[in-house]
Amino acid sequence: MNILIVEDEKALAENMVNYLDQSGYHCEWVDNLTNAQEKVWSYSYDCIIVDITLPDGSGLDVIERLKAIKSKSGIIIVSAKNAMEDKIAGLDIGADDYLTKPFDLSELNARIKSVIRRRSFEAQNEIIFQEIAISPYDHVVTVHGKPLNLTKKEFDLLLYFVSNQKRVITKESIAEHLWGDDMDMVDSFDFIYSHLKNLRKKIEEKGGKDYIQTVYGIGYKFMKE
Amino acid sequence: MKLLNIANRNYIATLILVFVIGSIVGYFVLKSIVNNEFNQKLFAEKDQLIYELHTFEDLKSNYYLNIGDKIQLEEVDYDPKIKSVLSDTIMYDEFEKKELPFRILTFSDNFKGRFYEVRITKSLLSNNDLMKGITEIMILVVVLLSISLIIINRFLSKKIWDPFHQILNNLKEFKISKPEPLSTIDTTVDEFRDLKNALNNMIGKSISDYQNLKEYTENTSHEIQTPLAIIRNKSEMLLQEPLSESQLTEIGKIYEASGRLSRLKEGLSMLTKIDNNQFVDNEPIHIRRFIKKKLANVEELILIKNLKVTTKYQADPIIEMNNDLAYMMVTNLLSNAIKHNLENGRIDILLGAHELLIENTGRDPGIPTKQLFNRFKRTGKNIESVGLGLSLIKRIADYYKMTIEYTYNNNWHLIKITF
Repeated sequence: MNILIVEDEKALAENMVNYLDQSGYHCEWVDNLTNAQEKVWSYSYDCIIVDITLPDGSGLDVIERLKAIKSKSGIIIVSAKNAMEDKIAGLDIGADDYLTKPFDLSELNARIKSVIRRRSFEAQNEIIFQEIAISPYDHVVTVHGKPLNLTKKEFDLLLYFVSNQKRVITKESIAEHLWGDDMDMVDSFDFIYSHLKNLRKKIEEKGGKDYIQTVYGIGYKFMKE
Repeated sequence: MKLLNIANRNYIATLILVFVIGSIVGYFVLKSIVNNEFNQKLFAEKDQLIYELHTFEDLKSNYYLNIGDKIQLEEVDYDPKIKSVLSDTIMYDEFEKKELPFRILTFSDNFKGRFYEVRITKSLLSNNDLMKGITEIMILVVVLLSISLIIINRFLSKKIWDPFHQILNNLKEFKISKPEPLSTIDTTVDEFRDLKNALNNMIGKSISDYQNLKEYTENTSHEIQTPLAIIRNKSEMLLQEPLSESQLTEIGKIYEASGRLSRLKEGLSMLTKIDNNQFVDNEPIHIRRFIKKKLANVEELILIKNLKVTTKYQADPIIEMNNDLAYMMVTNLLSNAIKHNLENGRIDILLGAHELLIENTGRDPGIPTKQLFNRFKRTGKNIESVGLGLSLIKRIADYYKMTIEYTYNNNWHLIKITF
């Protein structure tokens, strides 16, 4: 999987490249609009991450170029401005998703996976992790072939874990992923624990193993053993 | 009262006063002049008569002078010693066939050894007519002048004040967030030109100040977000490293603080945006739908805390307000009710035609509820919360001229918004 990162801030780009490389992607990075235009012209990427504010222009131009050449790449906008107009403009001209800085790398990773799944018609395919099979398209999860009855939040949580295997995922990142704007509604992360407890219980009931490890005080890690 | 009316009223009052005083004074001055002239005429006639009587032979008992004037000579046997006596009387006038005022000059003299009492009678009519005429003309002039003054004022002021009204209308329509220059008002009046120029300068300055502030807010927002994102992502990367538990905890704290900082910044820039009136696009908002949608979104959260929520929709009010602000207000209200609630607590929501009441169980805030509307005022324990929620609600309520009350009574918090 090839990913192009268009981001003028070196430190941020490095983080993205590192995190995504470790997730098994092949990342390329450019820090300006001109180079970005050249890259998307010459190569094909599965997903392109574009910062809107670039030193030599707007990231929206890259998206327009991609649309002009009928590229099949997924497009995720990252922007420091949490401005509705930018968001709407970006999604209007064909971006798949929008992230406001600062964001968690685990969140970016999950979004990339989701965009690529949708783009490559993998949506109908199942994501298999050990005895767990997740079908993102119709929101069905099976353990040893037996269907699980999960709430929407539990489903989202499991998918988020599977997308970020072997990574420490912070409680904040989970809260933001599950609740978004409503994240402020909670004064503690007890509710995550609650969701996790239910998820574990439901998986174990069907004979699945508990893959969720607690990283004390910080968050959780999803991995086999 | 309109400026024009005040001016008119004063003009006319002064005009009438001046004319009344002028007329009265004029009347008496003229009257005395005419009177004097009349008397002088009488005396002149007397002198002429005495001269004629002494010069000519025959004496008649009656002389008719002008129409209505006559001289009577009455022979008396003693000297009446009347010098000159003026008296006014009313007599029947043969010519006019009615009773009219006359002035009589009576004196005595002797001609050729005989004593005579002489009466010169002169009609006062012309005198009175003159006075009447003058008074009538005065009144007519006052009336005509008043009317023409009013008409001219009306007409002129409409025309003269027109640019002023145009400027005023432009100002009323003016919105700093969508600035439009004052329409090209054409006026030759110096004052209005000055006013227009002064306003244009002021507006120009306001617009540039506003733009600067807006840019500053946007730039800070942008420039702060990037380093924050770096801190957050770097610490996230570090968390993946095989470090000791205590090191991971420290990094976790950095990570968490960066998250709080960015939420804090979001909240503050939101408050600034409200203060700068940057939310101008209003649309009809169905508060009821907003509440229902939000409650559905946080259903699981309510379930986890085991809260009992009751909603009573007595009406379906539609409020003209900005979508983002309405969303923020409802979210923050419900967020507070959930966040600061007790385990197994309750939330009662009542929506009326002009009010929204949100009541929830919760701990004693410990400080007067009014203070909770201030920025960064929060009850001691909730470190996670940024402390801007209520302040935001209050600001949005103020922005839309809604009143907001917060009362705490015996483990029940009540927020009432009247719109």
